[in-house]
Amino acid sequence: MASRRQFLGSLLAAGFAPSLTWADARSPSFLSAAKRRDGSFHLVGLDEAGRELFVLPLPGRGHAACAHPVRPEAVTFARRPGTFAIVLDCARGETIAVLASPKDRHFYGHGVFSRDGSLLFTTENAYQLGEGRIGIWDARRGYQRVGELSSGGVGPHDIRRLPGTDTLVVANGGIDTHPETGREKLNLPTMRSNLTYLSGDGSVLEQAELREEYRLSSIRHLAVSKDGLVAFACQWQGSLGAAPMLQGIHRLGTDLRLIHLPSDAGSLQGYAGSIAVSENGQMVGVTFPRANRYALWRSGGADLGELHQLNDACGIAASSAGFAVTSGSGQILDHSIQSRRELRKTDFVWDNHLVRMAV
Amino acid sequence: MRFLLATIVTLSLALPAAADPVRLVDQALSRHVLPGFAMLTERTSELASAAAADCKPDSISLRKTYGAAFDAWLGVSHLRFGPTEVDSRGFALAFWPDPRSKTSKALRQLIQVEDPIILSAQDFATLSVAARGFYAMERMLYDPAIQATGTDEYRCQLTVAIARDIALTSALIEDDWNTNYAPLLIAAGPGNATYATPREAVKELFKALTGGLQFTAELRLGRPLGTFDRPRPKRAEARLSERSLRNAVLSVKANGNLAKILAEEHPNIDVALAQAVELIEVQARDLDPIFAMVSTPSDRIKVEIFQQSINEVRAIIGGELGPALQVAQGFNALDGD
Repeated sequence: MASRRQFLGSLLAAGFAPSLTWADARSPSFLSAAKRRDGSFHLVGLDEAGRELFVLPLPGRGHAACAHPVRPEAVTFARRPGTFAIVLDCARGETIAVLASPKDRHFYGHGVFSRDGSLLFTTENAYQLGEGRIGIWDARRGYQRVGELSSGGVGPHDIRRLPGTDTLVVANGGIDTHPETGREKLNLPTMRSNLTYLSGDGSVLEQAELREEYRLSSIRHLAVSKDGLVAFACQWQGSLGAAPMLQGIHRLGTDLRLIHLPSDAGSLQGYAGSIAVSENGQMVGVTFPRANRYALWRSGGADLGELHQLNDACGIAASSAGFAVTSGSGQILDHSIQSRRELRKTDFVWDNHLVRMAV
Repeated sequence: MRFLLATIVTLSLALPAAADPVRLVDQALSRHVLPGFAMLTERTSELASAAAADCKPDSISLRKTYGAAFDAWLGVSHLRFGPTEVDSRGFALAFWPDPRSKTSKALRQLIQVEDPIILSAQDFATLSVAARGFYAMERMLYDPAIQATGTDEYRCQLTVAIARDIALTSALIEDDWNTNYAPLLIAAGPGNATYATPREAVKELFKALTGGLQFTAELRLGRPLGTFDRPRPKRAEARLSERSLRNAVLSVKANGNLAKILAEEHPNIDVALAQAVELIEVQARDLDPIFAMVSTPSDRIKVEIFQQSINEVRAIIGGELGPALQVAQGFNALDGD
């Protein structure tokens, strides 16, 4: 017979818990996965000044986090090719669900919630088929898996939602991998990356591809402005000497536009780590951890403009004045249009992505 | 920006002295990279001649030249940057691992419809990389299932075509190295869009080294090892030609050769590396050629130890040589995602 405690537990699980909001988790401005010097991994909530508001333990290295639009719940994904994701209650500091990828699927490390927060969408590899999938999980019912969509390509990595809509935009990186062979790229000779826009019911609204000469660019990370401008960052799979461009912008219904490197940029190692768009959509920021640089450029402009130095720069997100940038060497910078200043030098090794909370 | 550049210059001057990177690149090219690719061209050209002379799968001269050409590839297969990455040449020579058996499927398809595309070298080079290179050739020579498909005549033509394509691809890579890429690496420095400093050129060689050993430890050994409860001997590389162990050893030796050149000015690291590589060769004598031992618990341990020894070489390279050469990479720079 169920004890009183179990009975109360089941009531809580059925939705009688008082509903918390992000304010109960001290209203973070940013989330990031991080490693401590002692080797432990955490999900960290940061305020606008780069101060830690909460530090929650993770079982292993995380990749990206995604935040529920209302409830103080963050989903963190294991690194590719991970088979689990953890949903943390950032107010109580508890794990509230563990998502296991279904048979013959693994996660790529990114996800996004539907507009009302009822569903979570995750990028996945249907690896026996070599096809991309978007997993659908019901956030109202303990994050049960309720279905999946085709991602419209191979190797879907980042996924975002166009603000104010339920239209999803997916970066299909184009690279076929199989967990048996780790991150070994199985289809470089034929790879083709694309941006795919999906409506809520899974139909493809639009797809944008790079020209043949840029076929070896893998569109990997995305950022979206409030008015639906999509900025994308790539990773080049060909010879470094030929690495042509790494980023661009796109808007539904228009042509894709590539942003070129200034001629004196030097080598950026064909590798962008993260991308972010400013609140008003006028500026885009992108990091190049292998070249220890980042760039901020006007989205209307033709090239990247000035490059800035930061060792192992990777996480970047819009801040109230410009962009916040994090590094694998512990720094958190705030770079507004006029000035760059170090907010904090921390003990954390900041992981790939800095996630901006909705404001 | 000017201020930032000034900071970079000051920083680099303040670093402790390390081996002259220009000299290291020069040595690696003249003693490792260029002779390795010259050897590959020579051996693959002999393979193509042998196939043209006798294309039967059990031809002794064909099998022998195939083995020698594959050996030559293992001498350079870790150098996966520059000329091997143009037009997927590296994959066209070596499409493995192949978890979806694309090579068998592609060959079977060609053989069953007797596709005439193989008659022209130029057209053949447009085929899927799964149908090309050393692993496709292995199927032609050693796979009974392929030999039971289609006609002798077509399979013979296909064998000739694969061998010819391997030789042509190898020659293109070597020529590209001699003409373009070796000069580019040597000329690392301001104005070089690929390698802005000689240290970046050293880093490229260092990455080839770590990547090559990782491939051998994680895939050549890791795939057949599987897990203790579920070993996967059939996933061993080049199992049909019984080259699984040989490929692992040759690749470790080739990487050891490059590591030795890069460690030239660090005698302690050089000695540690030489000992670690020698241990691997000694341990290899107790292993069977196709890692079938992974399935018997008492023998499996030997394969696991062999893999650990390769990881020990990786640890010396990552933990000692990388810092000594000042080419270590950051947490995010290494992630690759």
